[in-house]
Amino acid sequence: MAEIQLRNVGKRWGSFVGVHNFDLTIADREFLVLLGPSGCGKTTTMRMIAGLEDATEGNILIDGKVVNDLEPKDRDVAMVFQSYALYPNMNVYENIRFPLKVRGIDPDTHDEKVRRASAMVELDDFLHRKPAELSGGQRQRVALARAIVREPNVFLMDEPLSNLDAKLRVSTRAQIKNLSHELAVTTIYVTHDQIEAMTLADRVVVMKQGVVQQVGSPTEIYDRPANTFVAGFIGSPAMNLMEGEVSGGVFRADHAEIPVDAPDGPMTLGFRAEDASLADAGGQITAPIYTLELLGDATMISVRVGGALVSVKADKTFRAEIGEPVSFSVPKDICHLFEAGSGARIGG
Amino acid sequence: MNFRTFATFVGPSVFMMLLFIAFPLVSVFKQSFYITQPIYETVETETCTPGFLTQTCVTEQVSQPKLDDDGKIITRTDFVGLQSYRNVLEPERAWRAISDGNWNVLSTINFWKALRFTLTFTLITLPLVVVCGLGIAILINNAARSIRGPVIFVSLLPFIITPVIGVLSINWLFRGDGILTAMMEWWLNRDIALFAQAWTIEVLMMLYRVWHVAPFAAIIFYAGLQTVNQDSLESAVIDGATRWQRLKYIVIPHLMPLIIFVSMIHLMDSYRVFEEIVGFSSQGYVISLQWLTFDYLTPDQAGNRSISRASANSMLTMIGVVILLIFPLRRTWRDHKGGH
Repeated sequence: MAEIQLRNVGKRWGSFVGVHNFDLTIADREFLVLLGPSGCGKTTTMRMIAGLEDATEGNILIDGKVVNDLEPKDRDVAMVFQSYALYPNMNVYENIRFPLKVRGIDPDTHDEKVRRASAMVELDDFLHRKPAELSGGQRQRVALARAIVREPNVFLMDEPLSNLDAKLRVSTRAQIKNLSHELAVTTIYVTHDQIEAMTLADRVVVMKQGVVQQVGSPTEIYDRPANTFVAGFIGSPAMNLMEGEVSGGVFRADHAEIPVDAPDGPMTLGFRAEDASLADAGGQITAPIYTLELLGDATMISVRVGGALVSVKADKTFRAEIGEPVSFSVPKDICHLFEAGSGARIGG
Repeated sequence: MNFRTFATFVGPSVFMMLLFIAFPLVSVFKQSFYITQPIYETVETETCTPGFLTQTCVTEQVSQPKLDDDGKIITRTDFVGLQSYRNVLEPERAWRAISDGNWNVLSTINFWKALRFTLTFTLITLPLVVVCGLGIAILINNAARSIRGPVIFVSLLPFIITPVIGVLSINWLFRGDGILTAMMEWWLNRDIALFAQAWTIEVLMMLYRVWHVAPFAAIIFYAGLQTVNQDSLESAVIDGATRWQRLKYIVIPHLMPLIIFVSMIHLMDSYRVFEEIVGFSSQGYVISLQWLTFDYLTPDQAGNRSISRASANSMLTMIGVVILLIFPLRRTWRDHKGGH
């Protein structure tokens, strides 16, 4: 069990900044997700915690102890890699047993520990197989079992589901969530998939270009994005964002006139597709239909407002022709306002 | 690919292999069962020397090769079965020496003497080449990128040098008062003659072979090291593996197919050791199977070559190589089957 503190941690390669001023305390037993697009520094942050990269600035503390100069093996962390990183010459049993063997743990306890770990990920029937003889999902479970087997203080997971197909991803995600609950170990999970982040995390850290954009619970991040980047990254579909001008308490853009509580000036307005609704006429946005997508449970209607594409979820039975005018009701209370230049959130 | 295209591509290669490998092999195999000898005839000659009053004449019977009308020696080729092999192996003498435990006698039979050295040479240099090659490869791999090129070039130099030149340079470094021998004499303060007994010559030969072949192994292993899965290595670091454990459990198993490849090439090559014998002029002390074949082919004082014994010897050399190759081949086959 461990609390992890990152104190102004940074990573540079020459003039390139990988991670900038990362400052966060991860509580004991917390499931923290680092979320962001490729190259945002999330994996680098995790690798610094693991000890695979040296932090060029700041301190990393595990259970109150600075670990910057400790070897990875002495930090008592276990890591699951995106590529699984199994040892191809060893069978599943030997793969899971490897950490016990190289750490010189009493050989008499190995069998019991390996079998317990393999049972937790339902691999009992595959212990004699080589990794090449397993499916992607089974390999991922071997990697999980190998991380579990020596009962580390911290789990680090680097995009563990990204190589699995969509269906398997859902079931393995559920399995990881269940395991984390059962083991109650501090877990740091890296992903670029916001659905994984929303479903797994106690807290999410959204990163962009090495800088933390927002830290919060999935609900906070979804409901109150700190800036346009977070707003555009979280949610499926992402939040609609329109650039326009506020004057006299009304946000104006092409085809849009939305009353807001904000000072005059250029601004970005956002709302979620599922929050808005179709209006018979006289809605805040009225524009010709750009495209219509049938999602099964709903119909997604998109129109162009200024340069942006704005989508609204309508009933699954809704049908119309492209080019037909449509009106959306966008009440004030579903709108998020951001500064035009910095993209920072305005108001609470 | 249809058969015609396939045949067009493969045909020339098959033809060359038949012409330069299969036919000579069959020919050598056949010749090892035949002996070709000149036909001799006994001629009575009278040699007279002038003497007092009367000449002194001696009548002698001389055996001389029969000549045909063009003045060429007439030869006859007989099928002798395994006689040439018996001549080479001398099984009765060898068996007696083995049952008496008298190794000195066994080492007076050229074949067994050569086999002893060839096997020792092959089996001692094999692990050394693999270990040194791996060591150099790891060194190159860990060298800073900026000096990697020069390091590769320097480590490849021994492999680029022509074997005979390489052997001679080692020979000159150590022979008589060669610079290294002189240094060792100065250091140890005693006379050293590295070419006065067999074992020191053998050590120098092995030293040369390892020096010559290790770069080849190194460059193959270096290529292999580029394909080691970095995630697996990092995973092992986190799992707690030391540098040595990572080498043992991850790097070496990954390189195993290449290690077997290098071993097979080296087994085939070093079992045919020849340049070292010539370069070190060691035939007085140490000979190899390949050198023995060469020796049988060298004309004797009467101008005869022992073609059949040379053939038998080279067939035996080939059988030796095949036996040695069975071990790595079996492993490769097992891995191949295990991988499917």
